Amino acid sequence: MTTEIIKPLSTFIAAEILRQPSREIAADEKLISSGLIDSFSLMDLALFVEDTFGVQIDDTELNADTFDTLNALAELIQARL
Amino acid sequence: MTITQIAILAFVAIPLGWLTRKWQRVNLLLIISILIIFWLQPALPLRYLDFFLPTLSIGLTVLTWALTASPEVRHQKESKTSAVITLCVIFFLATTRYLNFDNFLTPTRPPPIGQVLFLLAIFVVGTFLLARQKSSSSNTLLWAGFTVLVILFIILKTPALALIASRGWRLFIGQNASLASSSDIYWLGYSYLAFRLIHTIRDRQSGRLPDVALGEYLTYVIFFPSFSVGPIDRVERFIKGLRQLESAYSDDILVGGQRLVVGLFKKFVIADSLAMIALNPLSATQAQSPLGAWVLLYAYAFQIFFDFSGYTDIAIGLAQFLGISLPENFKQPYRKSNLTLFWNSWHITLTQWFRAYFFNPFVRALRKSRKLSAGMMILVSQLVTMSLIGLWHGVMWSFVLWGLWHGIGLFVQNRWSGWAKTRLAGASLSTRTRRILSLLGIALTFNYVALGWVWFVLPNPSQGWQFILLLFGGA
Repeated sequence: MTTEIIKPLSTFIAAEILRQPSREIAADEKLISSGLIDSFSLMDLALFVEDTFGVQIDDTELNADTFDTLNALAELIQARL
Repeated sequence: MTITQIAILAFVAIPLGWLTRKWQRVNLLLIISILIIFWLQPALPLRYLDFFLPTLSIGLTVLTWALTASPEVRHQKESKTSAVITLCVIFFLATTRYLNFDNFLTPTRPPPIGQVLFLLAIFVVGTFLLARQKSSSSNTLLWAGFTVLVILFIILKTPALALIASRGWRLFIGQNASLASSSDIYWLGYSYLAFRLIHTIRDRQSGRLPDVALGEYLTYVIFFPSFSVGPIDRVERFIKGLRQLESAYSDDILVGGQRLVVGLFKKFVIADSLAMIALNPLSATQAQSPLGAWVLLYAYAFQIFFDFSGYTDIAIGLAQFLGISLPENFKQPYRKSNLTLFWNSWHITLTQWFRAYFFNPFVRALRKSRKLSAGMMILVSQLVTMSLIGLWHGVMWSFVLWGLWHGIGLFVQNRWSGWAKTRLAGASLSTRTRRILSLLGIALTFNYVALGWVWFVLPNPSQGWQFILLLFGGA
């Protein structure tokens, strides 16, 4: 199930945030603590998650403690679906 | 805090850490924290205020708890016990006025007992009225609590308003109002206390605040190791450590002790030595050459880091003695290759607070309104957020300039990295080239941050500008 969630997230991050559509993002790659996604892009990601999955990520949750990898984000989304 | 005060705190924390593992963990930590925040509050030229301010810290915390707690939690027996304990400890401190050790636990002689009882009665009535609500507090009431905390913050941090407040108190208490000064009111720990309280108010509004009993809540807000120097922990994280011990006492003593020693060394050996040659309003006027000016500036850049991160280590070490792991506040900030990474590792808990409660909601609103272009939105949100972080240190132009300096830096870096991302995506750089680029980034970031400290440390912006000119040989 999480793989189905990871795919659109990964595509969105590569194409819209990193602007490298062919870039592969590993499910355990650090996204926030590594600086790959900055705080503005993080908000784009949160809005994308809300639009795509209908899952709300609170402003206080947009940090590396809540999720730092695609795996962790997918688990968070799945838990709220 | 002085080295003697820290030694006494360590002397208290070590046996307390052992005792609280066996018995009455929350209540003992609460009692000791109350005693210590009275003891740490510096003596003030305003009569009795050094007793009333810690009382207000506790009173505001209790009121905010009653405001944010769910109806079920408000009526728990343990919360009532904590309220009684808190009142008894403050009452006991007030009675030391009539004993012979009135300057031992409080900075000066406490006020007459009637005045203390009057203030306590106000808080008791306020708490009672909030606690008897049958449902959770309304959003309006929560916003009212938020506003009160922010107004107090602004008064304390704005020299002109602090002067008026000092005059007002002097007139009220019968002191000479013409002697009032804007530095009269030094409310120990308020900047951190207010931000912890606001965090719980905002989390109650978003429905994310966990159920916390009064004793736990008070201990979280006035926890003595971090009361006056941070870090600003989050309540759900703190109570986890409070409720469940994660390591053995001997490990806590060892780990905490190491951290404490590192902190003491950073603060009292490195930072205090650097302070002798670091930039300050006086030394800025004495600098003659650009080289001398750069020495002053670099010394200050390292002094402020070792000073603040040293205090944080001390707080983390003392907390560890009590079995509580506080969050990190610094992660090698001067070794970061860009300004965003610097701000992810400098005063981390403050920037996380601003990100959660200002920056993210602000950016979310701007994104949804779609009124600004992406570039403008980034510029506006960086400038506003960083100015507010500057204002947190004091409502003065110098802090605003420091904030704007960083806001502009973050904006430029954001645009640059966006540009570089698309162009360097396909480029295969050798490890050596990457290393050189990273070192260049570190040097650039450090120097940008160091130049920003000029605005931070010199309260007069025109003096700051003169110093910047001197650094570049223009004065």
